[in-house]
Amino acid sequence: MNSLFLIILILMGGAVLAYIAKKVNPMLSSIVSFISIASAAAVFFLMTDRESVILHIGGFELQWGLNAYSWVFGAMVISMATFASLYSIAYMKGKDRLGYFNLNFTLSVAAMMGILFSMDWISFFIFWEIMTWSSFLIIVYNGISEGKIGIKYMIFSAIGGYSMLMAMVITKSQIDSFLIADLISSFSSMSLGLQALIGVLFLIAFSVKSAVMPLHVWAPRAYADSPMSYTSIFSGLLSKMGVFGLGIMLISVFSKTTNGNIFVYSEVLAWLGAITGVIATFYAIIQTDAKRLLAYSSVAQLGYIVVGLAIGTKLSVMAAIFMAIMHAIFKGTLFMAVGAVEKQTGTTDMTKLGALIRKMPWTFVASLMSIIALAGIPPLGGFVGKWMLYESMITSDHYFLIIMTFLSSTAAFLYSYRFLFGIFLGQEEKEFENVKEAPAIMVIPMIILAGSLFFFGVFPGYIFEPIANGMEYLGMGQVDWNMTVLSNGWGNHVDTLSIVNSILTIFGIAFIFLGLKNRKKTRYVTTKDIHTGGEIPTENENLTYAVDFYKPFERAIEPAMKRKMDFYYNKFGEGIETLFDFVRRLYTGNGQTYALYVVIFLVILLIFSEQIFF
Amino acid sequence: MDNSIWISILGFLATVVLAFTVGVFYGGFVRKITARIQNRVGPPVYQNFFDIIKLYSKKTAVHHGWMQHLGPAFAITASVTSLMFIPVLNGQGWIWFENLNFKGDLIFLIYMMVFGSLGMALGAGQTGNPHSAIGVSRGLSQMVGYEIPWVLALVAIMMQAHTTSITGLLDYQNANNTWMMFESPLAFVAALMAMLGMFHYAPFDVPFAPAELASGPGSEFGGKYLALMMTSGSIFAFVKLVLIVDIFMGGASNLIMLVVKTFLLYMIPVLYGIVSPRYRTEQSIRYFWGWPTFIGILGVLYVVFIR
Repeated sequence: MNSLFLIILILMGGAVLAYIAKKVNPMLSSIVSFISIASAAAVFFLMTDRESVILHIGGFELQWGLNAYSWVFGAMVISMATFASLYSIAYMKGKDRLGYFNLNFTLSVAAMMGILFSMDWISFFIFWEIMTWSSFLIIVYNGISEGKIGIKYMIFSAIGGYSMLMAMVITKSQIDSFLIADLISSFSSMSLGLQALIGVLFLIAFSVKSAVMPLHVWAPRAYADSPMSYTSIFSGLLSKMGVFGLGIMLISVFSKTTNGNIFVYSEVLAWLGAITGVIATFYAIIQTDAKRLLAYSSVAQLGYIVVGLAIGTKLSVMAAIFMAIMHAIFKGTLFMAVGAVEKQTGTTDMTKLGALIRKMPWTFVASLMSIIALAGIPPLGGFVGKWMLYESMITSDHYFLIIMTFLSSTAAFLYSYRFLFGIFLGQEEKEFENVKEAPAIMVIPMIILAGSLFFFGVFPGYIFEPIANGMEYLGMGQVDWNMTVLSNGWGNHVDTLSIVNSILTIFGIAFIFLGLKNRKKTRYVTTKDIHTGGEIPTENENLTYAVDFYKPFERAIEPAMKRKMDFYYNKFGEGIETLFDFVRRLYTGNGQTYALYVVIFLVILLIFSEQIFF
Repeated sequence: MDNSIWISILGFLATVVLAFTVGVFYGGFVRKITARIQNRVGPPVYQNFFDIIKLYSKKTAVHHGWMQHLGPAFAITASVTSLMFIPVLNGQGWIWFENLNFKGDLIFLIYMMVFGSLGMALGAGQTGNPHSAIGVSRGLSQMVGYEIPWVLALVAIMMQAHTTSITGLLDYQNANNTWMMFESPLAFVAALMAMLGMFHYAPFDVPFAPAELASGPGSEFGGKYLALMMTSGSIFAFVKLVLIVDIFMGGASNLIMLVVKTFLLYMIPVLYGIVSPRYRTEQSIRYFWGWPTFIGILGVLYVVFIR
C-alpha cells in the first residue's frame, strides 16, 4: 500500500479507535491515540518512496504526494504530535470526555498530514476544514466561555475558509485544474487583476491560521483555553499550516507575477507581520496568566516567521522555516510545561504561583531551555533563526523592519523573564508547599524536546538540509548551507560550534568554582531569610512581587495599548448591526406598506425600463 | 600538542586579565572622580582590586537554591564570551588578542551581551528578594528602551560598511582612513545616548537604585558571588567600551591608544551621571524612545539616502 495513504489511514483509524476505546477504559483511549500517531510517525520516517497516489471520489480526482518542501513540515508535525500525544496520556488522565478529545486530537494530526500531502486544492480544502473543525471542537472542550472564544475562532476560520474556496473556484474557472502545481505554472499567464485577486484571497486564508494582524484576534484565547496537551500542537503545528501555505504562495506563486519578482503584498505582509510581533509582544508582557502570555507570544513569534517568508530572500525564507520548526519545538515544550504546572498546582496565574523550581526542577529545566531559545539567546536553536532573520533583513535593505522586529524581540525578554519568575522563582508560597514534580511521562517529552533545541542550536545543519531541499523544490534555486556555520549575503558568518565551546568552557569553570564548590559548603535557607534592610519579616508577611510586574513599562507603552483590535471589530459589528436594523425597519408588518413597496418598484421599473432592459 | 592551541589559551588568559585589570581600574577612577566632584577625598584608585580580592577569600554561609549559584556563572560566561568575539586591538598584537574575533558578528554580540543579564536576573529571582525582582523588572524594561537607538545606530553603520562583522567594520575604517563617528555622526550620537543607558549610571541607574532598592538584583549576593559579579561587571564595562571604540573610533593599534580612547568614552556616562538625579523607569524608557531614537532614524536615513 502507498505509504501516504497508509499514514492517513492509520491516523483516521486511530481517531475512531480512540473514540471507541474510551468505552473500555479512558486511559486506553489516550494510549490508542498515541500509538496510532507514533506508528504513523514510524511509517513517515521509514518511507522511502514518495510517489503520489490518485484517488477517485465522486467524479473528482484527488492527488496526494509528498515533496521536499512538505516533507520538512511533515517531519515537524508528526514528530511533535508524537511527543504531544505521549504527554497527553498523563495530562488528560482523569478528565472526562476523553474519547471526544482523543478523536479530535488524532483527527487534527491526520488533517495536518493530509494538508501536507495534498497536491490539489480540493483535498487541501477538505483537510483544511477537518483541521478547523477538530480544533474548534477542542477549543470548546474546556467549556471556558466557549460561546465567545469558539465563535470568534469559527468566524475567522470561516473567513479564511471561504476566501480559500473562492480563490480555488476562481483558479479552477481560469485554468480548469485544481492542481497546486498547475496554479504555480500558469499564474504568470493570468491577468494582473486576477493575480492580485487570487493572491489576496489565498493570503487571507493562510494569514488567519498563522494569526497575522488584523486576523489574529481569535488566537490568544483559543490557545490559552484549550487543554494544554492540545495547545502544544495547536500553537506549534496548526498555525504552521498557515505558514506552509504562505510559503507556497509567497515563494512559488508570487515570484511568477507579471510585474516582476517583487510583489507589493509581500512588503505589506512583512510589515503586518512585524506589527503583529510588536503588538502581541506588548500584550504578552501585561498578561498575568501564563497560558495567555504564551498564547500572545505565539502570535508574536508567528509574526517573525511571516516577516521572514514575506521578505523572500534565500536567507530569510530559510530563517522563517527554521524559526517555524524551532517555534514548534519550544512553544510546544512551554505549553507542556504550563500544563504540567497546571496539573500539579491547579492554577496558571503567575501572581499566585511562585518558587516551583525546587518542587518541579525538570519542568523548570525544560522551560528554561525553551525560554532561552524563545528569547533568541545563543547557543540554542532560537538564536540561529533570529540571526538569519536579522541578517537577511539588513542585507536586503529592510532597515526599519529590522527595528520593529528588534523592538519586539527585545521586549520578548520581559515576558520571558516574567514567565520563569512568575512560576518557578520568587517567594515560596505556603499553598504550594507539597507540590510534586509532574509524572515522568509528562516530563520526558519536555526534556527530549528541550534537549533537541540545544542540539539544533549547535548543529543547525541537520535542519538546514531538508529546508534547503524544500526551498529548491519551491524554485529558489541552490541554497547554500553549512552544518555549523551561518553566513549572510555579505559574507559575514557566525560559527555556532566556537560559540558553544566558548560558552560551555567558561560556564563549566564558573559552575565548578561557584556551584559545585559552594553548594556543599553552604546551607539552604528559605526565601524569607533575605536582606530586608534590618527588618525581620514575620511568618505571614507577603514579600512577593508579582502583581503589576512591569507597571513602569506599561506606563511607557500606554499610548500603543489604548485600542485592541477587538475594539475595531466590535465597532464594525455595531455598524453592520445598525445597517441591518435599518433594513429591518422596512418590514413594518403592515400590508399597506408592502403594497406601497410594490408600487414604488413598478414605478422605478417603468421610469428606468429603457436603461435596464435595453 | 600543537603550538597554536597554547597560543590561543595564553591569548585567552591575556585578554581576560587585560580586560579585568582595565575594568577594575576604571571602576576605581570612577569612584575617585565622583568623590572629587562631591568634594570628598575618595578611596584610592586600586581600592576595587582589594575589594574583589577580599571578597574572593570570603566564605558564603547560605544559599537559596541552584539558580543562585548559577546566576553569577551566567554573568561571567556572557562577559568573557563577548570579550572573546571583540577585537581588542587592530594591527599589531593580533596573535595574542585574536581569540574568536572572526567567528561572530555584531548581531550575535547583541544577543550574547543580553545572556548575562538574563542569567543574573534568574539568579536574583530565586533569592525571592522583592528588591531584586523590582530591580530586574526595571532593568529589563529599561533595556527595551536603550536597545532601540543602539540597534538603529548599529544598523546605520552596518548598512554603510556593508558588513555585519566587527573586524569588517575595522577593516572598512582602516581602508578608508577614517572613523565611523565622522562617517555617520548621527548614528554615533544615537549610540552614545544609548550608551548612557547601557552603563547604568545616573540618571539611568533605575535597576540598582541604591537608595530605594538596596542595589536591586545583587542584593542577596555576597562573598564569592559578589566578587564574581564585580569581576564580570568590570570585564563587561571593558567589553562595551572596546566595542564602541572598535566600531565607531577605528579601534586601537596599541594598548595606550586603547586606554586613552576607552577612558575618554567612559567619561561620558560617568560625568553625565555624577551631576544627574535619577529618572523614573517610564521616564527613562520614554527618554530613549524620544530623541535618541529620532536621531537614530535620521542616522539610518542619512546612510541610505545621502551616502
